[in-house]
Amino acid sequence: MTPGQPLDRSLDRRAFLARAAALATATAAGAAVALPPVATAAGPTTGGRRKNPLDHPDAYVRPRPEALADPTELTIAEAGWLIRAGRLTPEQLVEAYLDRIGAYDGVYQAFNLVLTDAARAAARDAARRPRRGVLHGIPLAIKDNYYTEGVRTTANSFLFADFVPPYDATAVARLKAGGAIVLGKTQMGPLATTRATTPAGVVTTVNAWAPTNPNTDPGGSSTGTATAVAGRMATSGIGTQTGGSITAPSNAQNLTGLKPTMGRVSAAGVIPLTYTRDHPGPLARDAKDAAIMLTAMAGGDPADPRSEGLPDVPDLIEAATPVRRGGRVRLRWNTRVGVPPTFASGTSATALARQAYLAQLAEIPGVTLVDVPLPEGWSQLTGGTFNNVRLPERSEPFMPYLRTDLRAFGVSVTSWLQGALMGGNEFITGQRAKLLLLERVLDELFDACDVVVQTDPVPFDILGLPEIAFPIGATAAGLPIGTILGGLPYAEDRLLSVVAAYQAVTDWHLRRPADPPAALAGARRAPSEAAPRLTAEQVAELTQ
Amino acid sequence: MAPTPPTDAELNTLIRARLAALGIDLDQLPPGTAPDPQTGSPGRDAVLASLRSFVRGTVATLAAYQLPTPGVTDPDVARALSQQRVPVLYPSISAQGRTS
Repeated sequence: MTPGQPLDRSLDRRAFLARAAALATATAAGAAVALPPVATAAGPTTGGRRKNPLDHPDAYVRPRPEALADPTELTIAEAGWLIRAGRLTPEQLVEAYLDRIGAYDGVYQAFNLVLTDAARAAARDAARRPRRGVLHGIPLAIKDNYYTEGVRTTANSFLFADFVPPYDATAVARLKAGGAIVLGKTQMGPLATTRATTPAGVVTTVNAWAPTNPNTDPGGSSTGTATAVAGRMATSGIGTQTGGSITAPSNAQNLTGLKPTMGRVSAAGVIPLTYTRDHPGPLARDAKDAAIMLTAMAGGDPADPRSEGLPDVPDLIEAATPVRRGGRVRLRWNTRVGVPPTFASGTSATALARQAYLAQLAEIPGVTLVDVPLPEGWSQLTGGTFNNVRLPERSEPFMPYLRTDLRAFGVSVTSWLQGALMGGNEFITGQRAKLLLLERVLDELFDACDVVVQTDPVPFDILGLPEIAFPIGATAAGLPIGTILGGLPYAEDRLLSVVAAYQAVTDWHLRRPADPPAALAGARRAPSEAAPRLTAEQVAELTQ
Repeated sequence: MAPTPPTDAELNTLIRARLAALGIDLDQLPPGTAPDPQTGSPGRDAVLASLRSFVRGTVATLAAYQLPTPGVTDPDVARALSQQRVPVLYPSISAQGRTS
């Protein structure tokens, strides 16, 4: 890696090809093997990782006045600053969130399980231990498809209703090792398919911005994590993305969600939906918090060979720190932002927000907006048929369940049966088409730009490329409008740098939803009470 | 000559037989089209209709797809060359990194 440069443009083409061949061999052999580190254009990697990257000086941010008045308003960076200064304890922070959960989660229904006693014990323990960095004592919401040792992990399915994993998912273990506290497990689309419903399809979790209207889409499938963070019931959280499951709820609920490059975060200990496309990542309040979370989660893991031998994790926290020259925010790295046709066309609220966003972005020194074409065959190669190539990956690991209890798949069963019907020929054709799509994206999109605005997360989910979702506006009704930026492999640092600069000159990310009406506070809404219900046919259409 | 497209009944037999060969009995689902009120799982006739559509749509389209070979006009050469693009499970990991 060239010091001071983002990672995406400093990777050596030949090293990638050699690694691809090695990984293919390892995958074919079914072996978890360590692969040689990728060389870079600048020579061997030096890592650039600090001894404790979570204790990075840029990770701490002096709190805003409104955050000082309410600990649940604090970002990770702000809470870390206060904890480091001895002005806030992990116990105070946990209690503040437990109070809010007690008051409002009956309406939000963001959590499947709140670990009240364990979180309090962890907070007490954190208060006694030496500080481990900015995540020390920070309460997090964990999507319920991440294994949590000794704690029920259901993926919101009848299939795993009583499953208690014997160990933590690697991502969870790393967050805890960084000092974070697991506050609870969050509601999700059944088996990570849609917005959160019961396994039978009845809508549960609501959008924190419209808590009295369950028809307002909260985004899925990492719905509960998004609602918990947006509703200030956790400082930050984690989800998984197979077809927009981090970016969609982030956009719907005014959060900054980061779907990393495939392999950047180990998926070991995550209940699979589509193993070649399941990306663990954070849903956070801003770019800095997303960088902190990803710093803790990222890195090689022998339990997930896809995560090993990749370029070293760069300094993400520095990347997410705005650069100012002469008192003016500028990009850390000059970046060409690709804008495909029709991205900002029209007069809808979304179109107007996108126009304003592009105009604001263009004013930041270092940004160059570039018109880019959609690659040839884009609609076909990223559309429903080729997206369906993922389905055998969900049926194959679930065969024992498909043989014994189809009804336990609830409203989600159809796509599992579709996967079982697809033949090997079609599956292989789909894998060939992935390479075609990748080549066209690299040659026709990224030849002209460094990052590209997205209207749909699925194409880059198919390719395993990184995406970051963040707020850029609001509708007349006050609902958030978000957008997505996508990048080259391992471009998380560049994506974070662009969003950090944008957030330094705008305040959309600082908006917070009003609390639910007092009349509803404290009451637990029954799942079937006037709630919409998704049918199996709808789920088959909507599934991630 | 292209074969005659399968009828609904033939597809139903195919689908049931394929699933049965894998050990999956579609009759675990409730009869008819109404979903199971407790679990929300669809009736087997509703699922069969969806699966027929899947076979006629996704499976048939993917099976018929031939990868393009730009710049080649002879269809026989194009067909032969289209076999050369390798399948990749993980495009980003095998991406051809670009030097700055």
